[in-house]
Amino acid sequence: MIKVEHLTKRYGNHYAIEDLSFTVEEGKIYGLLGPNGAGKSTTMNIITGYISATSGTVTVDGYDILEEPSAARACIGYLPEIPPLYMDMTPREYLNFAGELKGMKKAARKEQIQRVMDRTGIAEMADRLIKHLSKGYKQRVGLAGALMGSPKVIILDEPTVGLDPAQVIGIRELIRDLGKTHTVILSSHILSEVQAVCDQVLIISGGHLTAQGTPEELSQRLSGKTALNLTALGSLEKVRAVVEGVEKIGGILEAHEENGETSLKVEIPSGQDLRAELSAALAGAGCPVTALATETLSLEDIFLQLTEGENAAGQQEEEPAAADQEQEEETKE
Amino acid sequence: MIAIYKRELKSFYGGMMGYLLDAFFILVGGLYFTAVNLQGGYSYFSYTLYNTCFVFLIFVPVLTMRSFAEERHNKTDQLLLTSPVSLGRIVMGKYLALMTVFVLPLAVLSVCPLLLRIGGEFSNLSNYSAIFGYFLLGAACIAIGMFVSSLTENQIIAVLGTFAILLLTYLMSGIRTLFTTGSSLALIVFTVLLLVISLLVGLNSKSLSLGCMVFVLGGAVLLALFKLKSAALTTAFSGLLGYLSIFDPFQNFVGDLFSITSIVYYLSVAGLFLFLTGQSLEKRRWN
Repeated sequence: MIKVEHLTKRYGNHYAIEDLSFTVEEGKIYGLLGPNGAGKSTTMNIITGYISATSGTVTVDGYDILEEPSAARACIGYLPEIPPLYMDMTPREYLNFAGELKGMKKAARKEQIQRVMDRTGIAEMADRLIKHLSKGYKQRVGLAGALMGSPKVIILDEPTVGLDPAQVIGIRELIRDLGKTHTVILSSHILSEVQAVCDQVLIISGGHLTAQGTPEELSQRLSGKTALNLTALGSLEKVRAVVEGVEKIGGILEAHEENGETSLKVEIPSGQDLRAELSAALAGAGCPVTALATETLSLEDIFLQLTEGENAAGQQEEEPAAADQEQEEETKE
Repeated sequence: MIAIYKRELKSFYGGMMGYLLDAFFILVGGLYFTAVNLQGGYSYFSYTLYNTCFVFLIFVPVLTMRSFAEERHNKTDQLLLTSPVSLGRIVMGKYLALMTVFVLPLAVLSVCPLLLRIGGEFSNLSNYSAIFGYFLLGAACIAIGMFVSSLTENQIIAVLGTFAILLLTYLMSGIRTLFTTGSSLALIVFTVLLLVISLLVGLNSKSLSLGCMVFVLGGAVLLALFKLKSAALTTAFSGLLGYLSIFDPFQNFVGDLFSITSIVYYLSVAGLFLFLTGQSLEKRRWN
């Protein structure tokens, strides 16, 4: 449906996105996930033809966005980050205008306006001025505008930002519903949202595509990276030597020593439980284990890992609820 | 295109703006018509029009300031530019709406020559050709205003910028007479112009040497002209200023006059600035 190849957008010396390639298949919901400033909006603006890429191509339903812009744009309904609403219009007038821009005939327009308004739940606001509507309703009117003309692809840039929790749930349900009849691409910096709504996740960081797959695949990818947090009495060198001597052990991710206690973060292969072997080996070497915990990385962790250095701290602040999936098992001897 | 035209018109006449502008236009036109034609006894309506040219200095900036600046400021340009409507049609839709807001009061004023006929025989042809010239003058000014509006997202800057440009061209015929003598001034002005052109060439081609070369070559030609034919330089300078004076060609419609050159001039100015508006919108995509 959409093919993005080697897309690069440069502002002066700064690359907003660099060599981005991905394919969007018909009938699925895609989530562009990444911290603020990762290049999500830029990517969407390029796909919709609002801005042009420095290099690379975008093909929508077989039409190149630069060579046949009108045909390509006709396939797309776009809701930008800030809904492009005319404040002096009513939702009905606005939807009529959006339909006219899409080249719809009058009768078809009238019929679809009603349908779209019912779907987005703005029918009771149809004849109020948009400037008097609340933010949530404005967002819905923008979304309704994107639906006019029944485009094959619907692109939503941060559709739930600034809405209250009930509205967020409403919009998410709507998006899932849309996914049954349209191809949807949405962007978000909130992982749980993407996890809840999308069939496919594209993680973007610093203008690069860092990971791609279904939410389950991504979770699996991280579960291949199970880690053990281990604390034992003894010097760093000694504990390290013993741990490295254990069979099947992966690399040591972190190590530090404090007051004669050594803490290690050890990577272990997925599906393996090496806790018994480790504690036995350490006890045998005279380094009693004081704490041992398995860490199963959640999608949130992968996300943070993949986008590390961007603004990991900011992400956790914004979405603390999603970070609660860490499972910790502690055994003390 | 029609959708954009209708929306634009609705935004003018949905609020006060359109009515205020049109009322202002008709008021000034009516006042001058009363003073010049009815009380002054002049038989040509074109005198009234000629005397009300200054109306464009206020009417056009206020009319055009919103067109693209407001869209950009409210981010509604994202809706237009990502719709299947081509850029040329967007520009034309807006332009035609602005022209409509201008033509409506002009149509009201078109009744004035008929009123004159009550008092005697007057040439309808010359009066209506003058109105046609006035229409073209407005068309050119509105294209300029729309272009300025497409450069910025701030309506204040758009209104002031358009006003400054129109004021300059309004005063240009006066400014021009100041520079009839002395070709050294012409040399300086042309040199500055050349410097700007070479800078643009250099920046666009990203080549310092090319920009320098253009400047050196152009400078040599200018100097040669200055030494050999300094009078030609002064004439060229005066001619250049003449082209910038948008209100002057309208004089060719006053009285019993009619001028194809002026028509071509106004249509070219309007066409050029409509094209530039499209280019400035296109350029935004690339930055």
